[in-house]
Amino acid sequence: MAERIAIVGVGQTHHKSKRPDVTTAEMCAEAVERCLEDAQMSMKDIDNIIMGSFEVADGYYSPDKWIIPELGAVGKSGLEMQNVGTTGGVVAATGFNIAATGLFDAVLCLAWQKMDEAAGAFGRGGGGTNEYWTGQFPMSPITNFARRAYAYMDRSGCTEEHFAMVRVKQDQCAMKNEYAQLKLGLTLEQVMNDALLAWPIRRLHMCPTTAGAAACIVCPEEKAKKVTNKPVWVEDWFTCHQGGSLTMAEDPTSSTLAYASHLVYKRNGITNPPKDIQAWEVYEPASPAELRWIEEVGLCEDYTAWKLFEQNKVGIDKEIPFNPSGGVTATNPIGATPVVRLVEAVLQVRGDAGEHQIPGTINRALATGYGGQGENVIMLLRKTL
Amino acid sequence: MTTEQKQDPEFIQFRYPRDVTYHHALGYQSKFANGLKQGRILATKCPVDGRCTIPPRIVCPMHHVRQTEWVDQGQRGRLISAFKINFPMFNSRTGELQTWENPIIAVELEGGARMDGWCMETDTSKLKTGMLLEAVWRPEEERQGRADDIMYWKPIEE
Amino acid sequence: MTQNLPEIPDTLVNVDVIGYSNFLVNTGATGTKFLKEIRDNKKIMGIKCPSCGKVYVPPRLHCPTCFARMSEWVKLSGKGSLTSYTVVRYEEPYLPKQPPFAYGIIQMDSADTGMAHFLGEVDLDKIKIGMRLEPVFKEEREGSILDIDYFKPSS
Repeated sequence: MAERIAIVGVGQTHHKSKRPDVTTAEMCAEAVERCLEDAQMSMKDIDNIIMGSFEVADGYYSPDKWIIPELGAVGKSGLEMQNVGTTGGVVAATGFNIAATGLFDAVLCLAWQKMDEAAGAFGRGGGGTNEYWTGQFPMSPITNFARRAYAYMDRSGCTEEHFAMVRVKQDQCAMKNEYAQLKLGLTLEQVMNDALLAWPIRRLHMCPTTAGAAACIVCPEEKAKKVTNKPVWVEDWFTCHQGGSLTMAEDPTSSTLAYASHLVYKRNGITNPPKDIQAWEVYEPASPAELRWIEEVGLCEDYTAWKLFEQNKVGIDKEIPFNPSGGVTATNPIGATPVVRLVEAVLQVRGDAGEHQIPGTINRALATGYGGQGENVIMLLRKTL
Repeated sequence: MTTEQKQDPEFIQFRYPRDVTYHHALGYQSKFANGLKQGRILATKCPVDGRCTIPPRIVCPMHHVRQTEWVDQGQRGRLISAFKINFPMFNSRTGELQTWENPIIAVELEGGARMDGWCMETDTSKLKTGMLLEAVWRPEEERQGRADDIMYWKPIEE
Repeated sequence: MTQNLPEIPDTLVNVDVIGYSNFLVNTGATGTKFLKEIRDNKKIMGIKCPSCGKVYVPPRLHCPTCFARMSEWVKLSGKGSLTSYTVVRYEEPYLPKQPPFAYGIIQMDSADTGMAHFLGEVDLDKIKIGMRLEPVFKEEREGSILDIDYFKPSS
């Protein structure tokens, strides 16, 4: 029987476009220092470390050999992982799996990306690096989301203005988050007139390149209760890496998010997601994607999310508190981005999110990681068992 | 102690350019590449639901059964989605920034499989989802068994 | 396995895939100070852990054993002893020198860790573990570990 597990500490760097003052390993150590401080633990208390980044975008291979000594963690058990945009998601999910075995007292999950060092790594970012199948056309996350957004407009009847509304909402949230990278004070006009990358994707619609790291500490129940008086329980998690095979062949706008989130709802008795879950941190690599993701996690009917923005119903203190951190279009250290979502969800459940705290009690929060051509990792958190 | 380091006006940085050539085996998918050299688009067909897929696969990803049947997908298809790249993008084959005039499209072929391609029409406002397209091939001697052996997809009248 | 469409050959195909990248590496504040001392002052510096007292060369920001932040710099004489070495006799792209060349691990005096570098001004057949070494700096220095040209036997 698996142990019940809780997150007892979280930490992240102040995310920036460039960090020439630190190496990748030193940047990771910064997030870990903050995480240990939050948990009031020391590195001596950690007995397992799960870590990872999107290696292709870092240019380092086997980075654990270099980062583990910088963390003063030589000799501890652990794994290094890589899974494109969902890297942080599989890092966390693997940390959850390992903590749930009860074999370890405290599992540190660490993910990072230093994109200021990654110039030119993204020519081949479409859906993995199988050059024969994905490299013959100049694909990238930008073009991937351009075709998704185009198909979404075609099917839903929304316009470019609705994409701009999403972007402005994201910016309003990011303005309140001290760790967010882009805090721009945007207006609808600014977004509508911004440089076109691949229609209908404008520069501001797309996630930025970020240098940053994020970490959390996961403990089995008994240890968690000793360490902290506000553990955040991990109710369930699921990694879904079927990519395009599962749904995209029928619907070019969709990902595996609907499949994965509803699978998790079903096995946890969640029948009414908008009511049962009070905080959402869902990995949206581009503003238009947020519309489809709101639908996929079950907050409204398919192809209607744009109407929620028209009615001004989405925001930190509104009916649908979606991505209160400002989301991925404000901050995107790719490999770490799912852990940044998780950190925000933990803060929301604890009531520690400060200016971007969702009002009221957060009993449940949902965080996700997204990657490649529609892969998703679902992480469901709870305030009480 | 979590404060960041004081900003020094000069931080030493290095660049290291690398180019590496890999030799990937196409395996079972080789037949697809050989088909392109003959001007034909082939896909594998799932014996359970009959769905044809490109990239072809030896096992159906959904039903976990061997896909032994290959189906010629024809020369025509319908437009699913399109986009045009409005910014210079890094070309991982050359290391150069490059721009492209033609839109990239996804096409649903007559045989049911879907694939990416270049569109001959450069004006995206003239593109409509569902419109009929036909493959325009490179001359046989220039084909390399890659998807860009199909030079363009050309919109045609119904 | 039999396949239909016999007119299309099943001949196996291999494709050449070229990957090009141009990564930037930041040495950070700690690495920058170390390299600048070499470049500007021909000095090799170590960094000392406030918790266990070990001196690391090359320096790092955190002690690998204590996870303590280190900020106390220690000036080293540059002299040290050889703890291990090899002679490279093969060629491949991206090697920094023409083979044959020797490189080894040099334990600096007053430091607790070894540093890898080239050995020069020495007969490749007469290198011995434990031999005393000192650095030879390049005339033109640009802020790189290769500003130290090599280590040579010291009298």
